[in-house]
Amino acid sequence: MSKRSNRLLITMLAIVASVLLVLVLSMAGDKSRGPIANILRKAGNFVTGIEDRFILDKRAGTRKEQLAWLQAYQADINLLKNPSPILLGAYDNKTGESYASILDLEDTLGTVFPLIHIYTAWGDKSHQQFPRAQARAIQELGSIPVITWEPWLSEFNQEDYPGLPGIEERDKGGLALIAGGMFDEYIRRWARDAKELRKPVFVRLGHEMNDPYRYPWGPHNNQPQDFVKAWQHVNVLFKAEGADNVLWIWSPHPSYGMFNELYPGDFFVDYIGINIMNFGDVATWSKWWSFKEIIGNAYEPLSYFNKPIMISELGCLSVGGDRAEWYRETMSNMVTDYPLVKSILFFHFSEDRTTTPQAVDWTIMWDKPVVEAIKEEIQKWPENVRTPAIKP
Amino acid sequence: MRTAKNVRGIDRFVLLTLFAAGLISLALLADWWFRPEHISVLWFFIIFSTVFWYGGIRIVLIWINYLMIKKPESVPAPPGLRVAIFTTCTHGEPLDMFEKTLAACRQVTYPHATYLLSDREEPEVKELAERHGAIYIDVRNTTGAKAGKINKALGMTDEDYILILDPDHIPFPSFLDQTLGYFQDPAVGFVQVSQAYYNQYRSFTAKGAAEQTYTFYGPTQMGLFGTGSSVAIGANCTFRRTALESIGGHGVGLAEDLLTSLRLHAAGWKSVYNPVIVSRGLVPEDFGSFCKQQLKWSRGVFEITFTELPRLFRKLSGWQKLSYSAIGSYYFVGATSFFFTIIPFLYFAAGIMPASMSFVEFLINGTFIGLISLAIYLYVQKWLAHPETERGFHWRGMVLKYASWPVYFLGFLLAVVNVDIPYIPTSKKASIGKMTPFARPLILYVIVFLLTFSIVFFRRRYHVPEDVLVLTAERTWGMFGFAALALIMSLLGLYAAWENKKMKAEDPWNHVDLEKLKSK
Repeated sequence: MSKRSNRLLITMLAIVASVLLVLVLSMAGDKSRGPIANILRKAGNFVTGIEDRFILDKRAGTRKEQLAWLQAYQADINLLKNPSPILLGAYDNKTGESYASILDLEDTLGTVFPLIHIYTAWGDKSHQQFPRAQARAIQELGSIPVITWEPWLSEFNQEDYPGLPGIEERDKGGLALIAGGMFDEYIRRWARDAKELRKPVFVRLGHEMNDPYRYPWGPHNNQPQDFVKAWQHVNVLFKAEGADNVLWIWSPHPSYGMFNELYPGDFFVDYIGINIMNFGDVATWSKWWSFKEIIGNAYEPLSYFNKPIMISELGCLSVGGDRAEWYRETMSNMVTDYPLVKSILFFHFSEDRTTTPQAVDWTIMWDKPVVEAIKEEIQKWPENVRTPAIKP
Repeated sequence: MRTAKNVRGIDRFVLLTLFAAGLISLALLADWWFRPEHISVLWFFIIFSTVFWYGGIRIVLIWINYLMIKKPESVPAPPGLRVAIFTTCTHGEPLDMFEKTLAACRQVTYPHATYLLSDREEPEVKELAERHGAIYIDVRNTTGAKAGKINKALGMTDEDYILILDPDHIPFPSFLDQTLGYFQDPAVGFVQVSQAYYNQYRSFTAKGAAEQTYTFYGPTQMGLFGTGSSVAIGANCTFRRTALESIGGHGVGLAEDLLTSLRLHAAGWKSVYNPVIVSRGLVPEDFGSFCKQQLKWSRGVFEITFTELPRLFRKLSGWQKLSYSAIGSYYFVGATSFFFTIIPFLYFAAGIMPASMSFVEFLINGTFIGLISLAIYLYVQKWLAHPETERGFHWRGMVLKYASWPVYFLGFLLAVVNVDIPYIPTSKKASIGKMTPFARPLILYVIVFLLTFSIVFFRRRYHVPEDVLVLTAERTWGMFGFAALALIMSLLGLYAAWENKKMKAEDPWNHVDLEKLKSK
């Protein structure tokens, strides 16, 4: 063998061996998480465990204590499936390293929110995995996390999912991909992390699936039965992973119907979520609508499912009408006209650009008449639907 | 004879495998690193990436160098060459050390003349030289420290080959037999041999300083030899007179050996590196002397990088360009260590993150490279000149390398603004009894760490709200974990400095038995 071919042979062998080395090492961990990630996860849990024991558990006068009444619900998920009081909560966009903005809001409203709402998207990146830190932080505050989980399939790396179509094509029939098991590893990992919380967590998956304009998981891309299949598939995976602490919120848009076709079934749904957003006359397509007008004809058909209803996003802009009056009416009618509503989440987004070209401000915190209106109306609620923590 | 092992085909295969795996992992890390979502403050991300990937590129260069490892085939020294051994003597160097060195020079078997180049006044020095059969050359009133003396002596002698021996180095009888043969090739300008020590047992600093040189005088120089760029660094290089004369004599400067080899390479001379231990010398025993030596070298090497290297760059071969650029920027490690050291404190003081990366993700992406580079480091140790004693993780060497970052940084800054440090001869004997001023930055670091830790812990214990506590846990403790590495290194550095305070003064050369050397 000549010297050159000898060298080429050695080089080829070395490349093959190195690829094998990389493969062996990357398969050393469990299927979805590498060995290093596992070790780091354990180290991280160890450190937070120490902080839990020596700092968090030693604290007195915390928010957790103010929410002591919620302990019973945290302990028994079945209680949470039909709570006596209306569970208030909020989402706020300024919650990177602290939920202070939400705590300020509840303070202003004279209450302590049993629920805190966050959003997260599907995908490969670390911030698209189960939001462990946020969920744990919400738990440490004594509340129950509500997670809106948006199946944006464009965030998955094509090379890691054999058979996954390109980013442009994959939204068409994307729900069928989910139902077909394409993202099972991701979903299972998410489920395991959710299970690790040990206490209840609300998950609102693929909301407004009946809106043909808004999200890729809408009816313009998918057949209704594929939504149902995808939902049931995810549900079954969670049950298989033992994540029984998840409460599933099925959340159609009130204006686009198709409820019966899209309803995944009693066994798979715990709450029905409805977004009530009054854009006023901020855009050409919008006008000032009352709560009643927005929920329109949806309440009745949805109530046939006989599930507790969550107003998963409640918001009203200040252009085009009397905002305080809007909230007054909404909160007042809630208990009388909509007895199935068991939860209301304020949508507290200061710079929302998701539907309008200019940023709109949903916050109510600094709108004194609105705050007063909400406070007064909540005070008037009957004893049994008011949460014990509401301060006079 | 203690010499590095030969290079076999299987070695190249293993190295190539590890190298390819390392490159793949580095590419994956880079793919993860340079993501737009990792940028929080752009300029900070740029600095951070530059500093980090400076290290990454260096690692690749070292790996490539190892792929080129080569051992020269032994060439017996032909009889009849005219050879001189030069050793220098200046003020403050203990005379009984010269007794050993000169006696050992006399034992070197290849016929030669030994010259002692001294600028001292005392008549005893001359007597000492003559007692050991060495020729005394008075080099008073020369400028340019050691190199100046050598150049003066070059003009007063006429041997064709000159071994320049550090006065603390005790040559073995076979020394010249291991170097002279290579000059059969008329293009060879100098032959460097390995460097070893006989006093590393004395202290933590001595062990660490010795550990730092093991890999360099084994696989690193062998790799450099493989690419035709092995350098004269440290002590005990044998030169061809005509080569030295072609570049106007030995280079003068703080890193005069490196300067000389750079000029010789640029003038077209070849170099040979023979990985054999044929002398043992002294390594700095106390932290202060070590730092002084490192300051001198870092300043000197940067001087070459800024002045001589650009001037001669075009005349070097491609490999030499790469090698000298890598060596010339080695001491930039001071600036990068400084940067890495302040990262956690920038975060705790001002909330600034160099990049919006998750610690966990970084470690996941980076650990593999760490493991591969450790594997390569350990694998190439088979080419250490004396593996039985030199093998290991060399953690003391790493401690010293980190603990002297202020020195390297200073050397860098002085070179950038072109300010001199005075010529400080490397201490041959430990300076004992007090803590060296070089330990002060380490003490300062420990204080800053403890203060920061106390403040952060106190705030987290009593003030930080529960949600923030959970949300910032990974970042906070990750940062502390990172800062704790520097803390451990600093504390060990301080231990090294403190240990010197209680060292007993001792002349280690008294333990060297020349009779035993003969049998080696």
